[in-house]
Amino acid sequence: MKIVIDGIETAASPGEMLLEVARRLGVRIPTLCYHEAFGGQGVCRLCLVEVTAGEVSRLVASCTYPVTGEIEVRTTTPEIERIRRHIIMLLHRRAPGSEFIQELYREYGCQENVPAPDPDERCIMCRLCVNACEAVGACAITAVDRGTDKRIDTPYGEASPDCIGCCACAEVCPTKAIGVSRAAGHYTIWNREFELERCAGCGRPFTSRPCQERIARLSGQELSGAQLCPECRKKQAGSRVALSMIP
Amino acid sequence: MSQLATENTSNGRTILVCCGTGCQASGSLEVLASLRGLLAGEAGTAVRASTKSTGCNGLCEKGPLVKILPDDITYCQVAAEDVPDIVDGLRDGTPVQRLLYRDPVTRQRYRSHRETSFYKKQHKIALRNIGEIDPGDIRDYLDRGGYRALRTALSMTPAQVIGEVLASGLRGRGGGGFPTGRKWQSCAAADNAPRYVICNGDEGDPGAFMDRSIMEGDPHTVLEGMIICAHAVGASSGFIYVRDEYDLAVVNLHQAIRDARAAGFLGDRILGSDLSFDIEIVRGGGAFVCGEETALIASIEGHPGEPRDKYVFPAVKGLWGRPTVINNVETWANVPVIIDGGAAGFAEIGTAGSKGTKVFSLVGKVVSTGLVEVPMGATLREIVFDIGGGVPRGRSFKAVQTGGPSGGCIPGSLLDLAVDFDSLAAAGSMMGSGGLIVMDDRTCMVEVARYYVNFLAGESCGKCTPCREGISLLLETLTGITGGRGSIADLDLLESLSATVRAASLCALGRTAPNPVLSTLKYFRDEYLAHICDHRCPAGVCRELTEFYIDAGLCTGCGLCRRKCPAEAVSGEKKQPHAIDAARCIRCGECINNCRFQAVRIR
Ligand SMILES: Cc1cc2nc3c(=O)[nH]c(=O)nc-3n(C[C@H](O)[C@H](O)[C@H](O)COP(=O)(O)O)c2cc1C
Ligand code: FES
Ligand code: FES
Repeated sequence: MKIVIDGIETAASPGEMLLEVARRLGVRIPTLCYHEAFGGQGVCRLCLVEVTAGEVSRLVASCTYPVTGEIEVRTTTPEIERIRRHIIMLLHRRAPGSEFIQELYREYGCQENVPAPDPDERCIMCRLCVNACEAVGACAITAVDRGTDKRIDTPYGEASPDCIGCCACAEVCPTKAIGVSRAAGHYTIWNREFELERCAGCGRPFTSRPCQERIARLSGQELSGAQLCPECRKKQAGSRVALSMIP
Repeated sequence: MSQLATENTSNGRTILVCCGTGCQASGSLEVLASLRGLLAGEAGTAVRASTKSTGCNGLCEKGPLVKILPDDITYCQVAAEDVPDIVDGLRDGTPVQRLLYRDPVTRQRYRSHRETSFYKKQHKIALRNIGEIDPGDIRDYLDRGGYRALRTALSMTPAQVIGEVLASGLRGRGGGGFPTGRKWQSCAAADNAPRYVICNGDEGDPGAFMDRSIMEGDPHTVLEGMIICAHAVGASSGFIYVRDEYDLAVVNLHQAIRDARAAGFLGDRILGSDLSFDIEIVRGGGAFVCGEETALIASIEGHPGEPRDKYVFPAVKGLWGRPTVINNVETWANVPVIIDGGAAGFAEIGTAGSKGTKVFSLVGKVVSTGLVEVPMGATLREIVFDIGGGVPRGRSFKAVQTGGPSGGCIPGSLLDLAVDFDSLAAAGSMMGSGGLIVMDDRTCMVEVARYYVNFLAGESCGKCTPCREGISLLLETLTGITGGRGSIADLDLLESLSATVRAASLCALGRTAPNPVLSTLKYFRDEYLAHICDHRCPAGVCRELTEFYIDAGLCTGCGLCRRKCPAEAVSGEKKQPHAIDAARCIRCGECINNCRFQAVRIR
């Protein structure tokens, strides 16, 4: 079906998320909680756009809005600009410790000078970490509590037996809010300490045992013997290819 | 039989004892036990009466209530000690004067509750059976025409049933006011069966208890409404989501479901038709936001109770991704009446855009509190003054807060507003579930806004940014103003931030959360300005901004305030004007609340 985004006509298949249609078209809509790997969540509300169907216009989160009919979309209006500025201001108040957010705060020209409850906070509650943890199959962290006390944590804030120490959460976090503390031979994430396994090739410590097991299971292999770090695995694969090319 | 069992034997009188949660709390079960004991002793005498326990009559404040039929006598605040006099009264049919309802304003006593101003202006549809029947006895419901509508519906085609509901103009009573018939229509039209029917009995609004009353006092009407819908949309199973605290509702609903199954109203091939449908009870997740329909559905599915974007309605994609009709308890209670009496009769009641009646829970600074059901379009004045008896203790009316925590405050200048879904929204408030809290001149409107925003800050699901963070900043700003740290710039921030929270939040909790702020800013801006510019709380509520003094010309020296003051801040000789020591005063307001001569003043 035909839809019009910022004056440009394009085709969308029914049920396709509006944000994805816009991206395909090259129209930029700002997002914080959207990730191609996980789809839309409707959490940050930065991706709000104005959708007009017939006579009625309304604001929708483009990452969760499925296209179901002919619509006209405006991705910026003065109201949308104000809302996005407010959202960044609110996230800056919540997470003033994040450089990423500080930069957005400047970029959006936010002016309200509101004191922050916690100057060191960096988490903006985008939940990408929760999605990543689920995608890995660990489900060790979720959004807990409610209202203004909502936060990302393990159950009861204790070291979770489900955590495999893969650090996908910290990796995907846009604001570097998830701390991984390293010490000789081990590291700690979400209050759980993991021993670092050494690479059988270069001898550098690179990951945890539970994480290796999970990767092996996901790729349908037996975990046996010594493991190589990604670097060495690449090298090994490379030399295998090279060897195979020797006539 | 349930906890509220009956003994239905003699063809003498029937004594109805209210065993709603309110009356149970004030001792109605003891009254019932004592009545049964005494009546048993009267076996063979001229006193022939059977007892029945009923659901809430809506006047819990005057409970325990006892009604005698067919004499039509109503007794209030009955204690077990009063029972011998009541039984004596049965001999010659003369009522026990001291137990009759006394009008709080005129002091006149009334023989029947039906004659009182509290009941006279009411029009009961959703509450029609409550207080009249034993909710644990399906025969009582049948005697009052129960399940007749189901037979009628089963003789109609599904499209005809939906047509009736559409024609009745019924709109959802759970808050949103969405046309019920349209919801059913889109569910019936969506393929992807199985379809589901859900009753929303989460009732999270503090102070609201109409849904509880219906589930406790007339559970079969909810079942009947749902079964009719199942026929109309082609659903095979239903769920009643009951607020976790509502134990009696769960007991009575379970009983009703068992009895309905036994009577063939639930289960396979209902009343010999093609319809097979059954209902399960689910206990609520214990959060206000779980009442929001998408959060409720998530909660039934076993997920955390968080709402989702509703660009596709639950009627198309609801429980487990299937087409689902979800309606509120009070909405369900109207359905059998519409099918039984016809849509046209129903549509005659109410206003152009809102048909039928609405149950309000009238509380706060009003003489008679309780549940009242009035036609849509009744004015606030009729509800607060004619039915509720106005503001007690000679204080003056300031505002009425409607719509639950995210409703708005409506000022005295709008008392003649005809209340319906649209007029309340136009006035900056909403119908919500029907909470009506009356506020007098000792209420600070800034503090009211802060109070509700604080509630919402704790009850928001915390998923989306504008609601979680926006409400938090609104709260901080309001707390600054009530604490004497406000600035004029705060008012701009409150207004523009409210606009964002309203427009950008994911669910209706966030989208309505600014109502308490915007409505008080609109109608009571002078109070905000007094806090900010004059450093004064005109109602004498915000402690940092209040100073009480005694007007020597009005003080009679009765000494009441001196005795009431917990801080020993009041001094004075008997019959001489008293004085308050501002340094010792903790601004609790005990003096001003108790003074009968309006001599305590706010500077
Ligand atoms: C925060 C929030 C809380 C709600 N709580 C309730 C509730 O306790 N009971 C209810 O029936 N509807 C509640 N609703 C409204 C429901 O989402 C839904 O609109 C309603 O159950 C639909 O039924 P109706 O059309 O019969 O009103 C709530 C809505 C919101 C946004
Ligand atoms: S990107 Fe759409 S709500 Fe966050
Ligand atoms: S419980 Fe008896 S009147 Fe409410």
